[in-house]
Amino acid sequence: MSGNPGKDASPVAQVPEEMGILGKVLTMSYPLGRSTVRSSSARTPIHNPLLCTGSGECGKVCPTNAIQVEGSGAGAHFELDYGKCIFCRRCVDVCPSGALTATTDFELSTLSRKDLVVAHVSGRPVAARDPELAKSVKLKVHHLFAGSLAIREIDAGSCGGCELEVGALTWPEYDLERLGIHFVASPRHADALLVTGGVTVNMRLALEKTYRATAGPKFVIAVGACGISGGPFRGSPEVGGGVDSTLPVEVYIPGCPPRPEALLYGLWMALGKVEQRLWNGELPPVAKRSD
Amino acid sequence: MSEVSPPRIVARRGGDPPLARSKPLVTQDVEALWDPCERLWQIAIAPSRWRLTSQSCQTLDGLRLGSLWGEDTGRSMLRVHAVWLPSGPGSGLHLVTELPTDSPRLSTLLPDVPAALYFEREISEMFGIEFVSSPDPRPLLLHMSHDFPPLRKRTAPSRPSGERKTYEFPPVEGEGVYEVPVGPVHAGIIEPGHFRFQVVGEEILSLEVRLGYTHKGTEKLFEGRTPVSSVPLAESVSGDTPIAGAFAYSTAVESALDLQVDAATQAARGLLLEIERVAFLLGDIAGIALDVGYAAGAARANALRQIAYDALEAATGARTGRGVLTIGGLLRPLDRALGPILTPRMGTIGKGTTSLLEHLLTQPSVFDRIHGTGTVPLNVARALQLVGPVARASGLDRDVRSDMPYGPYVGRVVHVPHEQSADVEARLRVKAAEVIEGCRLVLEFLADGATEAPAAPPLVSGGLDERHGLGLVESPRGEYLTWVSIAPDGRLARVHVREPSFLNWPAIEYAVKGNIVPDFPLCNKSLNLSYSGFDR
Ligand code: SF4
Ligand code: SF4
Repeated sequence: MSGNPGKDASPVAQVPEEMGILGKVLTMSYPLGRSTVRSSSARTPIHNPLLCTGSGECGKVCPTNAIQVEGSGAGAHFELDYGKCIFCRRCVDVCPSGALTATTDFELSTLSRKDLVVAHVSGRPVAARDPELAKSVKLKVHHLFAGSLAIREIDAGSCGGCELEVGALTWPEYDLERLGIHFVASPRHADALLVTGGVTVNMRLALEKTYRATAGPKFVIAVGACGISGGPFRGSPEVGGGVDSTLPVEVYIPGCPPRPEALLYGLWMALGKVEQRLWNGELPPVAKRSD
Repeated sequence: MSEVSPPRIVARRGGDPPLARSKPLVTQDVEALWDPCERLWQIAIAPSRWRLTSQSCQTLDGLRLGSLWGEDTGRSMLRVHAVWLPSGPGSGLHLVTELPTDSPRLSTLLPDVPAALYFEREISEMFGIEFVSSPDPRPLLLHMSHDFPPLRKRTAPSRPSGERKTYEFPPVEGEGVYEVPVGPVHAGIIEPGHFRFQVVGEEILSLEVRLGYTHKGTEKLFEGRTPVSSVPLAESVSGDTPIAGAFAYSTAVESALDLQVDAATQAARGLLLEIERVAFLLGDIAGIALDVGYAAGAARANALRQIAYDALEAATGARTGRGVLTIGGLLRPLDRALGPILTPRMGTIGKGTTSLLEHLLTQPSVFDRIHGTGTVPLNVARALQLVGPVARASGLDRDVRSDMPYGPYVGRVVHVPHEQSADVEARLRVKAAEVIEGCRLVLEFLADGATEAPAAPPLVSGGLDERHGLGLVESPRGEYLTWVSIAPDGRLARVHVREPSFLNWPAIEYAVKGNIVPDFPLCNKSLNLSYSGFDR
């Protein structure tokens, strides 16, 4: 569904010159229809274990230590955590063997933290997918909220970048409300909390109180490298290691910041409308991506 | 009301910087050296002369406080730096004084320099320096107590304890006065902060802002890293203007290491910064429309904004322009075929913004809400030393692009709009005019070969002496200042980032006075201050 390599998409949106309601519809069809992302916007590092020589160059340049490489040659252990990645492409630029390439995949949201981690030993994934888990979460969330979802957004110490893209969901291009998902002004009205930022020492109490003020059933969505792992601020004594160090998290949406389509996918997936695509760090092989 | 007058615009050509090197008067009785890295006069003074010299900068030379920060040299000596900048075209100066690490004290610059308040509170908690007879010694960013001041250098970093510091809001008393506490979690999709309103009836008597909720210890995180690996951190100081952040930071490091950046790369950076400005300010216009309850206007502004972010994505591969700038130039070249993508988009935005502004100003329901609302009078703006579109809407005609031109703006004409009425309407007009001017500059940079810029060569640093450099960039919010100090091993010893919001936040406390509580979001949006940029 994502990616549209080779095609330069997005013609100039036709914003009508005069105000009025009779202008052209600007809203994209995604996630109901296809998305169009320029091939030049390929930013997601994908690791091909068959080409990896374990040079470790990628790990040296990664600004958030999202990549760990141990050993070298055919037995190298390679690990990439999309929960820490800021999608900067530095690793792809330096990879001497072409094992890392950048793609336009943005459907990287998962229901479990460990599915964000790519782990390869000797040219093979370390673990197999576990579809049972997804089924159980899908049933729980889908059943309760599928028709309409009210979200309270909380910034628990972001840089403001994630707010920009979360806010963009209300722009005409993305128009979240067409999917029955709304941002609400109070945790009292919310079914889900969407949390950005790695939870600063100064925001922890407010985050906990807001969670307690939200009526059950409820669930938490962690957004961005910060929300998942602390992102670029990981290691600072002022920042926790992500939202799940404070609250139980049901959905993870990686990115720095995640593009609005990635947020749409994550929310849509949380509602059980589409399947999780990333399992143990592996996306389905290209040939099977026919949707 | 029905006639929309054009904004007042002055076109100024950025001068050749070395020509603006006239010696400030304050240097008559102290020794000053011209620092080509920082493009400022350097003055080292004794702590006892701190206050007097600072006063002279303000009164004698008409300079304004650009920033004030501390530094731990790691050699049992603390430094306090102040950068004083010209209010128009001209040159500024950099004052430094040294204090012992044991019970360091310095006289406060208050009340002569009101803009020093937040800076002194920050230096005090981060370095343990006492500002003698300061009227407000409360903490600023740290809500918890720490084992030692966090920006002091020790082998292990300072950690927050679980113990909350006391913080008192000055009480306002009288018949019918009540208090409205708001935040840190707000109703919209915005960053966290706490507002304490004192209200009579509907009218706001006073407001105090308490921030620090998103404090991430960012300045400390820079220390010990290499300049190149810290670019993403500079982008994340205020993540809604990552290009400005990376631009100011790269400029600071380049000036410290004496790196030259070629003209095409400069043009590319200018192009990216101007698209960021266009996209960002359209967001402010959308926010103003939304906060007066005019959703159709907001939708239209956001539709234009989407075009701007789409243009940024076409240029850089990333919607918000992250991961493109680096020390010495660009991490990767811009798309060569950018012309046919940018030209129609900038045209649409320019025309769309012109008609949107006219439309908004002629809707009685919009005009009535923004006219005369949230005034920040000229004398207040000057005393607080505001910067950016907010300052320009209050009649202060200041813009780094033309006052102290850097990189792509050297020798370039920039049409800087300014207004006198200092209200939400003035800020709306200024921001719309800047969007239109930004669209023009984007195409100018394109014509100047922005797409020819190569990827930056890898940076080899280290093995030098101790270096420091300053980056000053006009971000969408105004003057963005970054100062770096690089150790002989090539690693960052201290990075100070002063995002424009650090100077502009106090403006909100004045803007809301005498307004009604429901107009607070409107005043807030028209100023659009960064929480993360302030808290870091
Ligand atoms: S793209 Fe991700 S994994 Fe690669 S260098 Fe950047 S942050 Fe690290
Ligand atoms: S994930 Fe990236 S964009 Fe989001 S808050 Fe963190 S640094 Fe900012």
